Amino acid sequence: MLNYKINLIIGLLITAIIYSYLNLNIEPLKFISGISNLLIIFQEIKNIEYSLLLIALTSMMETIQMAFLGTIFGSVIAFPLSIFASRNLTNKYLYLTTRCFLAVVRTFPSILWAILFVIVVGLGPFAGVLSITLYTIGFITKLQYESIEAIDFEIINNIRSIGISKLQLIRYVIIPESAPHLLSQLLYTFDYNVRHTSIMGLVGAGGIGFYIINYIKFFEYEKALIFMLVVLVTVIIIDLLSVKIRDNYIIKIIKSKK
Amino acid sequence: MLSNLTKNNLAIDMNNVWLSYDNINYVLNGITLSIKKSINYTIIGHSGSGKSTLLKIINGLLTPSKGTIKVFGIIPDHQNRKFKNLMKNIGYIPQSLGLVKNITVLDNVLIGALTRINKIKSFFKIVPDVEIDNAQNAIKMVGLEDKTEKKVFTLSGGEKRRVAIARALVQKPILLLADEIVSELDHVTSKEIMNLIIETQHKLNLTSVMIHHDIKLALDYADMISVLQKGQKILEIGVDGNTITEFDVTKNQLAKL
Ligand SMILES: Nc1ncnc2c1ncn2[C@@H]1O[C@H](COP(=O)(O)OP(=O)(O)OP(=O)(O)O)[C@@H](O)[C@H]1O
Ligand SMILES: [Mg+2]
Repeated sequence: MLNYKINLIIGLLITAIIYSYLNLNIEPLKFISGISNLLIIFQEIKNIEYSLLLIALTSMMETIQMAFLGTIFGSVIAFPLSIFASRNLTNKYLYLTTRCFLAVVRTFPSILWAILFVIVVGLGPFAGVLSITLYTIGFITKLQYESIEAIDFEIINNIRSIGISKLQLIRYVIIPESAPHLLSQLLYTFDYNVRHTSIMGLVGAGGIGFYIINYIKFFEYEKALIFMLVVLVTVIIIDLLSVKIRDNYIIKIIKSKK
Repeated sequence: MLSNLTKNNLAIDMNNVWLSYDNINYVLNGITLSIKKSINYTIIGHSGSGKSTLLKIINGLLTPSKGTIKVFGIIPDHQNRKFKNLMKNIGYIPQSLGLVKNITVLDNVLIGALTRINKIKSFFKIVPDVEIDNAQNAIKMVGLEDKTEKKVFTLSGGEKRRVAIARALVQKPILLLADEIVSELDHVTSKEIMNLIIETQHKLNLTSVMIHHDIKLALDYADMISVLQKGQKILEIGVDGNTITEFDVTKNQLAKL
């Protein structure tokens, strides 16, 4: 049975879809007729340049290292921040300041931060690592404070009534109760960061994207393709690995908790 | 003068306490309790009668809307320095047990000792050997020595209760508050746990306030029993002076409740 509220929501949703559709000049026919352009690219690719494989792999390695460092640095900073940002652990001022900082960090996509860091530290992977770090801080902190705030309020209160200090509460209650989530969040972020670091090269912040964007610029699709394939395979491998790790270690812990 | 002397004898002195969670309905309606030191005081009553609420007022998790309460002469207030000191020695076993599921039995029990351990050192899990011994002794007392390194989420319901007891014992309590610690347990296990508590109570000369659902259990172990109904104390009996004769009479009365 549909009531008034649901009708209203559905009505608004349909209006929003139609309005956005018209406003953005969506033309499906253009897409269908344009597909042939893509075919031209594929026709130009006659042989894949395997000679570039070594460079592709080396630059992929650099990309993975950037993502790795960014994930580690970011989450190390994110953990204390997430405690400051949890309503059930801190005072209003610290919590509001941290949330504001997070809002600023999360407003811009990592590629924009990469441009800013290229201006600050110059071209190269360091700028990329900084921007990935910042992205990770924003992302992990949010996920972490949400899982900290989800810890049973009763447990925290009851244990506090023993009179232990806040630092001890964090060490013996907060960290253990949110750690299973942290592991899975780290994996997810690393996975995401590898994909994002792959395009950091577009703005000169290091990694494999640098090659891809340059070859495409000069219409050397054959060369670009090998790099894109390496990215594709890497992302698939990381995806499969993280699914396996999640299944084997994390799901088990969370399931057995219930 | 005389009334002062009797007051000094009290572990808990609760006077006309009212409590409301929402400022509209009162869950406790004018409760007055005088609990003497070193006795086992048991509260029984139907579900929702306000038993857990009463216990939370005693350890300062809740503040009465009206009325006064003193625990060992101190107003329960988690901001108050004096009460903070006392809290360390109030063993509270909540109805939900309040255990940390993802850490070991030993670590859960050690939480009870943390107030005696340096903050920074305990953050890095540097714990003095004495406290490890204390924790292990408490674990042995509740019969869980072969589960010391097990994560709490892997334990059975009864075992979890024992962990909560061990954590309370490691606090070196002078007051033990236990909320339905043996509910949902089989008869034999219930008796085991209750015997253990009474034994330690005598050994440490501590005061205990317990909540039970089972009247028979209360009659078996308590020095004094009060019955709560809709936030009011409708009956208080005890094996104490004049009331001892009254006790037998009420036994039958209670059994019908
Ligand atoms: N945090 C809370 N917020 C609002 N109302 C509450 C809260 N805790 C308890 N109550 C209400 O207060 C009343 C008494 O609750 P309390 O937990 O003290 O009962 P109880 O006697 O311990 O019951 P049980 O035997 O089921 O544990 C209940 O009606 C309950 O709904
Ligand atoms: Mg209760």
